[in-house]
Amino acid sequence: MLSEIEALRETAGDEINKAGSLKDVQDLKVKYLGKKGLLTVKLRSMGAIPPEERRAFGSLINEAKSYLESAITSQENRFRSDELNQSLRIEKIDVTVPGRYIPAGQLHPSTKVLDELITIFTGLGFTVAEGPEVELDFYNFEALNMPKEHPARDMQDTFYVSDDVVLRTHTSSVQVRTMEKTPPPLRVIAPGKVYRCDADVSHIPMFHQLEGFMVDKNIRMSDLKGVLELFIHRVFGSNTSIRLRPSFFPFTEPSAEIDMSCVICGGKGCNVCSQTGWIEILGAGMINPRIYEMAGYAPDKYTGFAFGLGIERVAMLKYGIDDIRLFPENDRRFLAQF
Amino acid sequence: MLVPYSWLKEFVDFDLTSSELGHRLTMAGFELEAEELTATETVLDIGVTPNRPDCLSIRGMAREASAILKLPFKDLSVSVKGEAGQGPSITIEENTLCPRYAARTITGVRNGSSPKWLTDKLEACGVRPVSLIVDITNYVLMEMGQPLHAFDLDRLSGGRIVVKQAGDTKEFFALDGTKTVLEPDMLLIWDDEKPVALAGVMGGANSEVSDNTVNILLESAYFFPASIRKTSRLTGLASESSFRFARGTDIGALDLALDRAATLIVELAGGEVSTITDIYPLPVQTREIEVTFEKINSIIGVNIEQSFVENTLISLGLDTRRKIDTSRSLEDTLIIIPPSFRNDIQTDIDIVEEVARLYGYDNIPSTLPSVHMSPAPEHELYKQIKTMKNSMVMSGFYEAVNFSFMNPNMLDQLLLRKEDHRRSFISIKNPLRQEDSAMRTTLVPTLLQNLSLNLNRGEKMLRFFEVARTYTDTGDKLPVERTELTAILHKDKSAALWEARNVGYYDLKGVLENLLRVINLHGVEFVPSCDKTEPYLHPGKTAIIRVNDENIGTIGVLHPGVAVAFDLKGDITVAEIWDLNKLLEYTAAIPEYRTIPRFPYIERDIALVVSDSVTAADVKREVLTSGSDIIESVSLFDIYKGKPLPADKKSLAFAVRYRSTSDTLKDSDVEEVHGSIISRLQKNLGAELRS
Repeated sequence: MLSEIEALRETAGDEINKAGSLKDVQDLKVKYLGKKGLLTVKLRSMGAIPPEERRAFGSLINEAKSYLESAITSQENRFRSDELNQSLRIEKIDVTVPGRYIPAGQLHPSTKVLDELITIFTGLGFTVAEGPEVELDFYNFEALNMPKEHPARDMQDTFYVSDDVVLRTHTSSVQVRTMEKTPPPLRVIAPGKVYRCDADVSHIPMFHQLEGFMVDKNIRMSDLKGVLELFIHRVFGSNTSIRLRPSFFPFTEPSAEIDMSCVICGGKGCNVCSQTGWIEILGAGMINPRIYEMAGYAPDKYTGFAFGLGIERVAMLKYGIDDIRLFPENDRRFLAQF
Repeated sequence: MLVPYSWLKEFVDFDLTSSELGHRLTMAGFELEAEELTATETVLDIGVTPNRPDCLSIRGMAREASAILKLPFKDLSVSVKGEAGQGPSITIEENTLCPRYAARTITGVRNGSSPKWLTDKLEACGVRPVSLIVDITNYVLMEMGQPLHAFDLDRLSGGRIVVKQAGDTKEFFALDGTKTVLEPDMLLIWDDEKPVALAGVMGGANSEVSDNTVNILLESAYFFPASIRKTSRLTGLASESSFRFARGTDIGALDLALDRAATLIVELAGGEVSTITDIYPLPVQTREIEVTFEKINSIIGVNIEQSFVENTLISLGLDTRRKIDTSRSLEDTLIIIPPSFRNDIQTDIDIVEEVARLYGYDNIPSTLPSVHMSPAPEHELYKQIKTMKNSMVMSGFYEAVNFSFMNPNMLDQLLLRKEDHRRSFISIKNPLRQEDSAMRTTLVPTLLQNLSLNLNRGEKMLRFFEVARTYTDTGDKLPVERTELTAILHKDKSAALWEARNVGYYDLKGVLENLLRVINLHGVEFVPSCDKTEPYLHPGKTAIIRVNDENIGTIGVLHPGVAVAFDLKGDITVAEIWDLNKLLEYTAAIPEYRTIPRFPYIERDIALVVSDSVTAADVKREVLTSGSDIIESVSLFDIYKGKPLPADKKSLAFAVRYRSTSDTLKDSDVEEVHGSIISRLQKNLGAELRS
């Protein structure tokens, strides 16, 4: 009896090891280990074995079973792995066919630049403030030290809604509105749309500005220079240098125009900078004490600075856009580039 | 302003090239805008800011240059010799509008053409030569910045001058021949009978100097700047004179300019000059400005030598001395009296600017403010708009930024009713074009135009959105400005790309649903718009977007008639969210946390045949309000119309998900509720189970 088992184990082992396919292995599994398999039948016949031989018989048959099981598993794994390797050799997709996705759109370049600037200034503790675009002449001009018929009004071509109502010509109109509501100290930026009655190759009648102002004790003109330098470096890189030139705005004194070294030619002189190596980028100055009077601040206690810059101008320099008229056109081929 | 290099050099002996000079002026606030080479010399085009009318002349610019370059200023020396006869009679009736008026008569002149040196200088300044007398007045204008006017004395009735307003006089003929309509408060120069000049703006044709003129009256006056600016603006007449008067001329030097011109006329055109009549009833008071060195340095953020400050101010022509204060040992305060040509210097801050300007902004260091830290509160609307824009972009939309203008005709093209609130628009009095004469009350038409432009350029699969303000006139002084979001999606019927499938209402709705989810706006309903459909949308394919029973926007297919009006083809879907500020009220800043379910769900499908008028939302509502607390959600997974269903029926298939919060559901728990839902749908919606 014991030798029969050993013979069975030997034969089965041979057959399994010589099996030619996964199916053969599976057939052999049924043949020997299935419900009516040869080994299973032997196991069931254990009752007929004399009790003193049962232990040896049982141990032998179980050992044979686990031997065969392990041989089958290993053969199955071998064939499965061959099969997988075979299919890995055959199966292919064309990986160059375009992917499937919802193609993302784009933000308008004005928004992109505005967002970037707002991020920089909010990081410096400036808060965002807003004001109306259809604005009282008072906040756009008079409160900024430009009474009716002031010659500085000639600097901006104004759209009028009525004698007292204009389309704001700058976001500086938010200055006094904010100061009226907020006691000093304050750090504020006012982004938004502004309007000028002017349209030609280098002007569009509506564009965006960012106004910034800061009022506190002991704010100096050197602080204005430092803050603007920091911001220009963030936007255009730290190799960019700036220079301040005296200028005139009725609501700042001293006033300055800020030039930065030309980002196109690096300051050597090109068409963009009219061969000067410098590009005018923003206007700024120390807030005129008259503005504090208008806003009801104590003029002797506080000083501060204000600056304003055109967003489209920054975008043109940053991206190298050569025609401002592309901004309001909304041609998708333009919008898709930023 | 055009400044011939050689003319400037007559006043200041600098040793600089024109470019070097231009740079020095630029860095002191007088920007070199261009350098022009004429046949004979280099002309600098220099930008003069409105606060510095004193530099709108060669002499004024030279005075400034001498301070900038720290070189002596060689002023003109003028004296009228051989005065003969009495000066003219002058009456000023409007002291405030004309505080000073001076004149001389010159008799026996020969008008003709000017010598070459004179016409060369005028032409270099961009002034066209006319005749000797006129050219001399223009020459002195360019040289000294004081506008002068020569009247033909023989054409002045009574040979005298009266300065008064127009009053009842309605019209005036300027020397360029144009008829000017007058306002009562405009200032005129009269003779005994008639107006002979629009004061400070333009002379009259009736008293103009001609080639035959032999006797002249030469005017040199100061006019109140705002009045001149207003007259020039209202009449549309502008001249070199009005430009300078509107900015403010030197009231203290107008006699000098008069004498300079009179001397030149006698020298070049002959004649005899009268004594001066100079009416100056209330001479302007000089003002004293006090400023401390400490203030100058603390505002600029530097430590400038006291001697530099004093020398600079003196070089600019400002009378500067130290304040003697016996109670203090330090003389740290300056008292400054500005000259009559520096009307812009009014307070100590103006002095600070002068010092900073000539010290050189380049020499100011860069520092950062030292401040108390304070958190910058976020701007909620701005933050939310940013999130919304990014969501739209990720859904494939391009952001359009349009002008805030619209053509009022577009409201008709949108089929808006007479009483529609979008017809209450704000008009611009001076638009660039009629098409841009109104402020937008809706963003829809400009987006349709964006679509049209892109289609005409061959672009396909277009998706645009815009976030911008609209402006509604409510009768108050300022309109109501509302920030809106409008999106537009276009399906080109010819598009064969696989991406083009199913583009339309449901795509845009999905984009919007996703957008609202991103900003944590929950409980949004899309309700059939029925009789509340926007006139420019398709009545059967439009929904009102509603939150908490409040209408926040709309979404629908563009009305085919509107598409035709805007010359658009293809299926166009439009969505609007009307008031992003108001939306903030609904968007919970902090999302509400719910425990993650611990027990598994069981899902059961229902396939129904319902009448076409029953909406998916109707079914959903019936299921969710059926009263069992184990119904977790219900979602539509199929809609079918067509055979074998009758034409007025459709099939809707839903998956209902059941879950208990307290234990694992058994099939039997679900069967009961599911059965009651079905009978409820049968009873309330006339639904039949689809076999």
